This record gives sequence, structure tokens and C-alpha cells, in this order.
Amino acid sequence: MINGEKLAQENVEKKMNEEIKDAFPMSDQLTWDDIYQRVIYRYGSPHNLAHIKDEMYKLEDKGEIIVHHIKPYNNPMEFQSLNGLTKKIPTTKLWQHKSCGQCGHIPGYPTSVFWIMNKLEVDYLDEPHQTSCTGWNYHASGASNPVALAGVYVRNMWRAYETDYFPLIHCGTSFGHYKEVRNSIILEKEIREKLRPIMRKLDMDIVVPEEVVHYSEWMYAMSKKAAAQRKYDVSNIKAAVHTPCHIYKLVPEDTIYDGAVWQGRRPAAPSGTVQNFGAKLVDYSTWWDCCGFGFRHILTEREFTRSFALFKKVMPAVNEGHADVFVTSDTGCVTTLDKSQWAGKAHGFDYNLPVLADAQFGAILMGADPYTIGQVHWHATDVEGFMRKIGVPVDDYKEKFIEYLQDLREGKAEPQYLYPKHRKIDFYLTLPERVSWYKKQGNK
Amino acid sequence: MATKTVLPPLPDDPRFMDMAYEIQGAEPEEQRNFLSNLKPEEREVAVKFWNAVKQDFRFNDYLRGCLNCGVCTSGCPAAKFYDFGPREMIQYMMRDAVDKIWEFTNKKVWACVQCFTCSMRCPFNNEIAGLIMLLREYSVQFALPSAKEILAPYRRILLTVITTGNQVTPDMIQPDTFPDWGPQAVEESKNMAVYRQAVPVDLLQRTDVGWHASLQTAVEMMTIFIESGVIEYLKGVDKDLYDMIMDIYEERKQTLEDLKEKWEKGELNEDELPDSWLDM
Repeated sequence: MINGEKLAQENVEKKMNEEIKDAFPMSDQLTWDDIYQRVIYRYGSPHNLAHIKDEMYKLEDKGEIIVHHIKPYNNPMEFQSLNGLTKKIPTTKLWQHKSCGQCGHIPGYPTSVFWIMNKLEVDYLDEPHQTSCTGWNYHASGASNPVALAGVYVRNMWRAYETDYFPLIHCGTSFGHYKEVRNSIILEKEIREKLRPIMRKLDMDIVVPEEVVHYSEWMYAMSKKAAAQRKYDVSNIKAAVHTPCHIYKLVPEDTIYDGAVWQGRRPAAPSGTVQNFGAKLVDYSTWWDCCGFGFRHILTEREFTRSFALFKKVMPAVNEGHADVFVTSDTGCVTTLDKSQWAGKAHGFDYNLPVLADAQFGAILMGADPYTIGQVHWHATDVEGFMRKIGVPVDDYKEKFIEYLQDLREGKAEPQYLYPKHRKIDFYLTLPERVSWYKKQGNK
Repeated sequence: MATKTVLPPLPDDPRFMDMAYEIQGAEPEEQRNFLSNLKPEEREVAVKFWNAVKQDFRFNDYLRGCLNCGVCTSGCPAAKFYDFGPREMIQYMMRDAVDKIWEFTNKKVWACVQCFTCSMRCPFNNEIAGLIMLLREYSVQFALPSAKEILAPYRRILLTVITTGNQVTPDMIQPDTFPDWGPQAVEESKNMAVYRQAVPVDLLQRTDVGWHASLQTAVEMMTIFIESGVIEYLKGVDKDLYDMIMDIYEERKQTLEDLKEKWEKGELNEDELPDSWLDM
């Protein structure tokens, strides 16, 4: 009997091996490590991230580039990127790499980031010595080249490096674009050779930070700590999230994922931030789709932008997910989703779904003034309705803000600041002693 | 008795059927004269353009193969609204079809919204959106008519980004330029100055720049654009814009050098400077 069972078992195994052999003729020649490598390759951009990091340290050893390392005093936290590599997210001593579209059209976006940093006692530096990444221009017009793009990146990174503050990138396009540019600097000797004389002319060298970090990744890393200071309950709020394309589709493997957020199948930020603040995440079929920004389209061909944002993003989020608010984490996406809804009214599509950046969402929940800090008066959608729903005393804030504006107009009030004002000379020259001067002014 | 219908002979192999070409049949692709579809006056530049794209260091990295599976086009936002599809471009590139690439570049390449969905989903790991950028980059370098046409309404943005280091300005939001943004744009433009003053960061309080970059920073960025040759491409696309940028550069560079010199000698009196170099 025992022998019979053993024989049957052996037969099953033999049959199974034959089937495996039949299905995978090369099964005895391959190792699962190879398969795993291929999976990594599949999800990698043209060059694997581990390889890029290896090359980066080799170039550092050869003295070809300077690597701006994340130091222990940046209090880094570790997360997983798409292919399982560790990505370090520095949480303090951060150099703010602002976004053109945020500062220009959604000023409550950077001010919310700074306000949250003040609340969490994070050390940061915001300087006039930064330029746009020029990525928006590049993707819109093609009027640039790899050397110019690398030059703009390295110039900004140099300014961060000389202050010893680690760069934190506010814009999603800057983030994706910088990952791509970093890869090209590391992998292409020709780029470095053309770039070096240009940087020398500016008294700079090629600096590459150890990680390219988006503020939404920082925001996610800090979200539990920030949510501890939450003032309003959002457990009855359904939030749809739009994850910006350039955050996770441009150099996809260099973005953080977390098993606690959508089972690790979608990027951790900003969904995880919304989740940690206590709102209910809702799903909709086009979660992966673009917002319709289009770089050039939003500026000169908005017929596409309006239609796409409304039909492919706002309508599914409301009709399928019954969302109360749309949360996203990039310049273009906030602008597009927010501004594209009004024109739909002409055709009877009156959705008016409030659109907020994760930083504004977090700051408002933490009790920030929605007007002076959240700057929600720059939004076209019904953000006030959303705030009323969660119990923010909107009318009181609004009355105070209108008074403040009137006082500013009449010169009765001085503008308020989140950190000390810069000196006049800082608007002209980049002085080496600027950080020590600035920090003496009591900035946290 | 009914006449028997005579059907034209089928090509030997249906894979070679392509209605874009006059001769159908089992003609190997390499023997096809792609140039025959181009206007005689365009042939030389079309070939030069395509060769330049192929010789770019990114081309072989970005183009890896194509199954013709269509995953790229099925997820493409632009394909839902325009006569455009990334698969079409990849197929032309795989076939080295200079005529089709020329047509694609002059008509369709600007429809792409650069979301990189195609790149992320491609089973062959092609960097498809990157290939589109190659075509766009070289169409600017070659000053092709489509680039001129596309960049005409965009020139103010180019001027802003190259001279101030900011892509957009708050005061560009005007009811007549952004009528589709509704009453919001009217409110913003009406209250622009005081709205900006109420932003609690000093770098963000002007209406004519997103944030206020320092003079040195702005000059450094213009230097990068000039030294890397980008400004030279603009000469072909928009000569007036090129002249304007170069004039601004010379002037600001001189101001910066003077200021630096004075600062180093300890002769710079800050109080004499206007609050912003943008007002100089």
C-alpha cells in the first residue's frame, strides 16, 4: 500500500516534469534569477536603475562628477521603488526646487508645502537662485537639446549642493525630466564632455544628487506625522486620486511604491497621503490616464485639454467613484483638472469637482488658513463646498481674507511671510555667505 | 451565360500589400523607393532630417523593436482625439520609411501630449515618447514648417522661459486669452496685483514672473541656452525672437558684470538698486 502510494506520487511528479518540459522547453537551462532580471528589465527605462547608480558611483570615484549624498542629518526614510530597490527620501534640510506653474498659477501649492514644513519643524531653504527645469518647454516645443537640459539641471543642483541642502523637486515634470537627464549625464560621456566647459564658464562642476526626490514622496513619508495634527475629520470624504504621468511613467522604476497603498500596484504618492489623512480612496476606470495637460496643448490648443480632462478624468471619477474631491500631485494636473471643468457647463456637464494638490489637501486638514496659505481663491472649482463639507469655517476665513486684501490695497497692512524675506542683493547676485545670513534671521 | 468576373491578381504575399505605394506585390522593403512619395524639392531635407534623427545617441536606446501589438496606441490620450498614433511612428521607423517619417513629422508629431503612457506599457520597452521628442527636437533644429507653425503662438512662452527662468507668468491669465477658464480668469486678472501680494513668500509676489529668480541665475540660464546651441536653432524658426533674446542677454550680462565688479570692490550701494532687476 505504501509502495503503491509512493509509485503514484512518483508518477505524478514524472508527469508534472514532462508537462513542464513540454510547456517550457528551456526550463532546465534557466534560473529564476534570470527571469527576475528580465522582469526588472521589462519595467525599467532603457537603462536599469541599479546600473545607473553603479555607474554614478564609479564616475564619482573617478572624479568625473560630484555626487550630492543624502546625509544622516537629512533624516532619510527608506522606501521601495517599482523594482524593489531602496529609495532614500530625505525628510529635512531640503532645498526647494519650485515649479513655474505652481508658483505662477497655483501659488497655494508651494505655500502649503512650506507651511506644512514649518508645522513639522522641517529645515528648508527657498532661494531666488533657482530656474525652471525647462522640461515643460522641452516637452511642449522641442526647443532644447540634451546638453542644455543637462546644463539647467546641473546648475540648479550645484546651487543646492553649495548650500548643503538636499534638493526637493516640487514639479512632477521636473521630477520625471530630471530623472531622465540624470540618466543621460551618467550614461553618456559625450553629454558630460559638452557640459563640463559650459559649467566651468559658470564656475561650477557637474553635480548629481544621490536621489531625485519629488515633494509628494516627501509628503507621503511625512503624512502619518502630519496627519497627527489633523483638525478636520475626512472619514466620510471620497477622494479620487490622479497620479501624475511624469511621476511614474517617465523613468518608471524610480518612484516609490508601498504595499499599504493599492497593494503596491500604484505609486505610493499621493494616494498613500490621502489615505493616511483618513479620507476614503475611491477607484475609477481611467485612474492611469493622463489629465490632458499636454504641455503645448494647455497653452495653445486647449480644445483637447478641456475635453480630455472632463470626459476621461472628471466624469469617471464622479460617475464611477462618486468622488467628493480630486487630489493630485503635480502642477499641470491641478491646473488642467481644475480649470477645464467650467467650459463643460455650456454642454450641460456641470460637475464642478473640487481639485486640490495633496499638499493643499493636507494643509487645509491640518488647519491652515485656506486663503492666505491654501490660496484656494486661485481655484476655479468648488473647493469652498468641499471645505464646508468637512467643517472648515469658510465664511470666517473668507471675511478675514477679504479684509486683509482691502488693507493691502490701501497700504494699511504689511504682507505676511512664511519665512524671512530675502535681502535685496539676493535678487541680484548669488553670494556664498547667503545661507549663514539667512539662517541667522531665525528661519526654521 | 453570365460573364465571368476577372479579379486582379493577388500579390504573392499579402504582407507586402501597402496601399501607400503604387506598386503592390512581393517587393522587398529595401528595394522600395521611399523617395518616390516625396516632393522633389523636399527629398534632400527629408533624408538629412531622418539621418540626423537616426544618428542621435538616443535613437538606438529608444527604439528596440516592435511587435505591432498596438498597446501604445490603445492607451494613447492623443490617439483618442487626433489622427495620431505612436504605433504608426514606430512602424515607419522600423521600416526606415523616410517618406512616412517626413509626413508624420510635418503633420502629426505635435499631437502627442508627452504623457509617456506608451513608453510605460510597451512590451518591447521602446521609449516611444522619447522618440517623438527626437522628431520634435530635430524639426526645430531643421526649422521645418510645422515647427514654425506650432511655435508661432508659443513665442512669448519661449521668451519668458529663456530670459527669466520661469515657464509661465501669473499675468498671462487674462479673460481674452483664457476665456474657457470662466469667471475665475476674470477674477484673477482683475485682482492680480493684490492677490500676488497676499502670497506669503516674497519670491512669489510679482505679477510678471512665477517666482523671482536672481539676475545672476537668469543670466546663467541664458548662458547655458546659448552655449549649448539652442539659441541657434531659434534663429531659423523665429529670427525676431532670437534677436530679442540676444539683445536682452547682452544687456543683462553687462549689468551683472558691473554689479559683480562693484560688489567685489565693496563699492556696491544696495540702497541705490531698484527692488528688482526686472524693473531696470
